Amino acid sequence: MLELRKVHFAYKNQSHVIHDVSLTVTPGEFLAIVGRNGSGKTTLTRLIMSLIKPLRGDILFQGNIIPHCTPAKMAHHIGYVFQNPDRQIFHDTVTAEASYGPKQLGYTPEQTATFVNDALAVTGLSELANAYPLTLSKNQKQRLTIASALAMQPKMLILDEPTSGQDARQRDQLLQLLIKLNKQGTTILLVTHDMDLLSACAHRAIVMAKGHKVFDGTVAELFQDVLQLNNWGLTEPAALKISRQLAAVDVKPTTSISELSHHVATLFRRG
Amino acid sequence: MMSYIALRDFSYAYTHPKKVLDNINISIEKGSFSVILGPSAAGKTTLCLAIAGAVPHYFGGSSAGDVFVAGMNTQGSTMQHLALTVGTVLQDYETQLVTMTVEEEVAFSLENMGINPNEVAISVKETLLKVGLTGYEKVLVTSLSGGQKQRLVLASVLATNPKILVLDEPTSALDPEGTESLYRLLGQLNKEQGITVLVVEHDIASVLPHAHQFILLENGKLLASNTPENVLTFMASNQVYMEAIPPLWQLKLALECDTNYQFEPWRREQDAIAELHHRLQEGANKNA
Repeated sequence: MLELRKVHFAYKNQSHVIHDVSLTVTPGEFLAIVGRNGSGKTTLTRLIMSLIKPLRGDILFQGNIIPHCTPAKMAHHIGYVFQNPDRQIFHDTVTAEASYGPKQLGYTPEQTATFVNDALAVTGLSELANAYPLTLSKNQKQRLTIASALAMQPKMLILDEPTSGQDARQRDQLLQLLIKLNKQGTTILLVTHDMDLLSACAHRAIVMAKGHKVFDGTVAELFQDVLQLNNWGLTEPAALKISRQLAAVDVKPTTSISELSHHVATLFRRG
Repeated sequence: MMSYIALRDFSYAYTHPKKVLDNINISIEKGSFSVILGPSAAGKTTLCLAIAGAVPHYFGGSSAGDVFVAGMNTQGSTMQHLALTVGTVLQDYETQLVTMTVEEEVAFSLENMGINPNEVAISVKETLLKVGLTGYEKVLVTSLSGGQKQRLVLASVLATNPKILVLDEPTSALDPEGTESLYRLLGQLNKEQGITVLVVEHDIASVLPHAHQFILLENGKLLASNTPENVLTFMASNQVYMEAIPPLWQLKLALECDTNYQFEPWRREQDAIAELHHRLQEGANKNA
């Protein structure tokens, strides 16, 4: 679906921020990109959206080279949700905001209305259809930017740290929404710092460090080498850290707190 | 002991009659590390703004009751005067950045306070070192990442030597390493310099090792204000904002429910590992 071949990029007057990155994304995947602040995660997503152009290397979406595309053309295929929702909201009602994309893509008013209604329903914003977007909470704004992206019927959704600044309840709601969209066939690329979120929903993870892709594999593989994980500025989920350090007393490694609790309780009962 | 920060029957509405804070009574001791918790729209940010004096001095609105900060009634004081005691890092931290370069940003508030250039230079150097931004002195503020900007705002606030630090979601743009390092720094400032820290944080696990007091708000009302252990137990037993209970305490509460054991009030993963290892080993030895 998406392929990066030896992509290099640097902002003006700065050293390279993306070095020789190659990766592929297959349809229906739920992929997470993780890494320290400043490791190149957001830059990589901006390259994919054609918001910036690589200095060298190719980016292909469904076989077409992206650098030849405009951001508007990319929006036909990929929905992009910025880290700060305020940067992409500019209409005076929730419906108008979500309708802007499909209208620009040339859908008829009837099609646009259907897509927008569906997108607002799936993101739980139907009751706020006539609300003024700037009066919404950050979570509602975040969901509006996701609805706006979904209304364009994208094959793929890219979300840049969508849980940043969200409370625990909103984070859980967003997680359920992303899992649901992925099950319905939307390919998801999630940039995140949240390792519990990653272990709860992603199939595969890419780690960026100083502009290099330093890991590309399953989430289970990512958590195998703790020292390496820490070197990349990442942490294991709490359940995995605790269960691993209790291996000497027969606790099996797990990323799930409920599994860990169940297992430890069984050991106590035996003891 | 007299409270260093106290809210007495305090209510506030940005637009009457919709109360954002409703009859709040809270006491915060000098030198403590307190955390304000609660879902969105609970009133957490408004509480921070009330302590900094921005509510009501900047935002207007209508209020009842009193907010006392270091012996001053905020209603009778000014934001400028309160700022000498209370350093605030806002949720929307970018609005606090006003200059071109990193060193100018830290120097700005000191220069406004009339501090001489030599002392300003020393203070800029020291505070940038504290927040891990040494080497960025001449860097343009606009070119910093979100995490670096958050640390720069903290440096600018720390440079003024506040007695109280109020931080509204100071780690929202930080990676896990940055979050741990920021809370380690705040924990140090609290323990070693006696700075009273009040922070709004969604990720309870990151503040649990440092906090003395949790303040739980929902829909503008105070639900609990007590030790972290008591507030987490309150959340679990009353099924309030359960989603926020950190994995460590989810494990403790689930095990206590399943086993009839009572575990220590774990603050760090290492606490859980040590206690579980000890008890499981003890059980294995008995069986051997």
